[in-house]
Amino acid sequence: MGENITRREALRKIYEALVVIGASAFISFEDLLAADNTVAEKPMVVWLHGTSCSGCSTAFLNIEDVPVVDLITKFVSLVFHPDLSSATGHQFIEILDQLTQSGKGYILVFEGGIPVKMPHTCMIADKPLTYWVERLAAKATACIGAGTCATLGGIASMDPVTGNIPLDRFLEQRNISKPIVNIPSCPMKPEHITYTILHLLKKGSLPELDKHFRPKKFFARTIHERCLYYADYQEGHFAEFVGDSGCLFRLGCQGPVTRNDCIIMGYNGNTNTCIKAGHPCIGCAGEKFPRQIMFHRFDDPRVIKNKF
Amino acid sequence: MASKRIVIDPLTRIEGHLKIATQVENGIVVEAKASAEMFRGIEKALIGYDARVAQQVTQRVCGVCPYAHAEAAGRALEMAMGITPNTNGKILRNLINGAYQLQDYLLHFYHLCALDFIDITACLKYEGRDETLLGLKAWVQSELKNREIFPAAPFLPRYKAAYCTNQELNVSAIKHYVEALPVMADFLKMVCIFGGKAPHPITIEAGGVTTVPSVSMIAHYQTIFEKSERFIKNEYFNDLVGVAKEFKTYFKEGRGYGNLLSYPHFFDKDGNNPIFSGGSLINGVYSPLDVNQIQEDMTFSYYQTTGSAQTKPLAFDQLIPISEHEFENEQKKESGKYSWSRAPRYKGEVVEVGPVARVVTTYKSGKNPKLNALVDKINSTLGISLEDYPSVMGRHLCRYISATLTIDLIREQLDQLEPGKVAFVEHDVPQNARGYGLTEASRGALAHWIETDDRGYIKNYEMIVPTTWNISPRDSSGRPGAVEQMLLGTKVQDSDNPVELARIVRSTDPCLACAVH
Ligand code: SF4
Ligand code: SF4
Repeated sequence: MGENITRREALRKIYEALVVIGASAFISFEDLLAADNTVAEKPMVVWLHGTSCSGCSTAFLNIEDVPVVDLITKFVSLVFHPDLSSATGHQFIEILDQLTQSGKGYILVFEGGIPVKMPHTCMIADKPLTYWVERLAAKATACIGAGTCATLGGIASMDPVTGNIPLDRFLEQRNISKPIVNIPSCPMKPEHITYTILHLLKKGSLPELDKHFRPKKFFARTIHERCLYYADYQEGHFAEFVGDSGCLFRLGCQGPVTRNDCIIMGYNGNTNTCIKAGHPCIGCAGEKFPRQIMFHRFDDPRVIKNKF
Repeated sequence: MASKRIVIDPLTRIEGHLKIATQVENGIVVEAKASAEMFRGIEKALIGYDARVAQQVTQRVCGVCPYAHAEAAGRALEMAMGITPNTNGKILRNLINGAYQLQDYLLHFYHLCALDFIDITACLKYEGRDETLLGLKAWVQSELKNREIFPAAPFLPRYKAAYCTNQELNVSAIKHYVEALPVMADFLKMVCIFGGKAPHPITIEAGGVTTVPSVSMIAHYQTIFEKSERFIKNEYFNDLVGVAKEFKTYFKEGRGYGNLLSYPHFFDKDGNNPIFSGGSLINGVYSPLDVNQIQEDMTFSYYQTTGSAQTKPLAFDQLIPISEHEFENEQKKESGKYSWSRAPRYKGEVVEVGPVARVVTTYKSGKNPKLNALVDKINSTLGISLEDYPSVMGRHLCRYISATLTIDLIREQLDQLEPGKVAFVEHDVPQNARGYGLTEASRGALAHWIETDDRGYIKNYEMIVPTTWNISPRDSSGRPGAVEQMLLGTKVQDSDNPVELARIVRSTDPCLACAVH
């Protein structure tokens, strides 16, 4: 433990220095962990599934920077999570009743879409999801949209019949104005949400956001801008078949129009990422996901080739 | 007669929105209804998309076993193309899917089910020196002391029940609940090495896998594999056997019809000799798989139904959910529609799919002597027989059996992978073609059907997913679905804490997002 304390102290110094020079947007996980709590109590977190696949929840369990168990015991109080909570059935309803009546703040993490055209296509305890989201968001301190479904529409909004919309649009429709953070990617990266929560906990504020409420730290740049094949792209060296060397643009790469940090920070503890694995980016963190065609041969006549 | 209605809604620690409603007389379940409470309409929303998009979109019907949808979609399109992947492609798919399944078994046992049996408060009595457990103990103590609302969430509150009283086993399982998390993250790293990311591995396409495996990738995969497989063989195995021994009566609970269905799974590098041979067991009789025997029924599902009650895959190109008004009407009816899940049937029968079906059909086929030997050995250790397999504990056991065979497959095929060789076969997207793809997800038999139009775009798509089989509602002849049947006859000690029902339902590892997509 002794070693940790020294390291922690060292990190705190760095953190203080950063705050002094006003470089807070650049703080890292370690800096956040080393910083003092500015929020007196552990924030309560309620995690709700809309029309989702649980991919963001399972991705959350893969975080390495902070052990999951530390996150939910030391940093936040995970009042409810559909995949992890022991509370079942009526116990779940009691928790939500108590929570919304307690007058205490909490963070609402929301995964999936909200079917507003057909609210009965997503029910919890005999009430439509719309009822729960409205009720919980109204009393929340802040809301986090987790994943592309909850933030930009994604897979959940493919079907026009059910009319799924993302969280921010829903809150706008219902005139609920709350601080909101959008964390797209399909699934969201656990680092992105953990960083956001730690920022709130340790600094008492949300990270710096862009106009779509995405943390700038992760979504300021496109995949393309930092791609390992950027020079190939510039030189016109394109892969025409899978396995060729060079930029994947002619195989359908959506890197130029997708904002995410995949090239800097890949998936699963930066083990790999789509482009490095030889597959063009399908734009899973983007507004137009899923596209009608996502991966094709360079000479596919059906594809209208975009110039960027 | 003391009659009572017990409703569990939502049933947590599964994937998605599930409601269980039962009628209990004198403590025994006499009627059970399982309602899938969500619908996204992804199958038919795919119409008009490029056929290759199916792989990316359908794996997103489920964030827990996306790999299986990727494989089923890839195979369906390959059948339509008339191709199969090359050896490297076949192997890479197994390496991606195998690692993913191992992760999934741990997730299911430790995080979705263990807390139904294990007493989490046992850590309060812990006197040893393990830091994880001492940390948990201190945390629970301070939570119980200081906080008026929600102490020790998400682990408490829970149903009051007879949890495990064996302190040693409780402590071990709690410790491994925590320690399994980084192991699971490691298994998903193995997926990520060849799959690009996890969940939702991107590289599995019709034609193979777009990753060109390098020597360093193979070495990386192997290093993590050797470290992680030990957890399955030691910690997971010991905790599982411990729970199975403590709760031996659960080899008799949640039995259901005993009819099973499974698809061939995990082929060798040439695409032959699957580890799990698939097939069906109907009324005790084994027969090899016949895909043409699959039909679906929507009598009790929230869709507009026209024409015949039972339809074959791809028989309809629209799936029209009923309106909010009709929905309310159905709920008022005595025997109205009650689920977004459809009701698939095999040879007209209700069947259970999943690890038990996978293991028992293979055993009966006699085609994998290694599996039979393992099953025989476990049976004599635990004093059980094959008849005990379709049960709560049998389902947990069969996940372990599946895991050990998967580990052997990974080890063998990792050596057969050729570094530097492209694992993808180029092929045009087929026009006006049909195909289907079969695989086994962790939760059981999964099939996709695809039909393309004259540009290679999707004309029709259909998925019949493991949980759709298991959680299916009644059909036109009124027969309960597989899980509904498993609940019948169950004794519920305390109607406010129906842990027996939760244990049964969770043993099938329901995945509702998958089921209703
Ligand atoms: S592979 Fe994609 S992201 Fe990378 S340079 Fe080419 S177009 Fe840009
Ligand atoms: S590279 Fe593209 S498709 Fe892959 S995870 Fe990043 S944003 Fe999503």
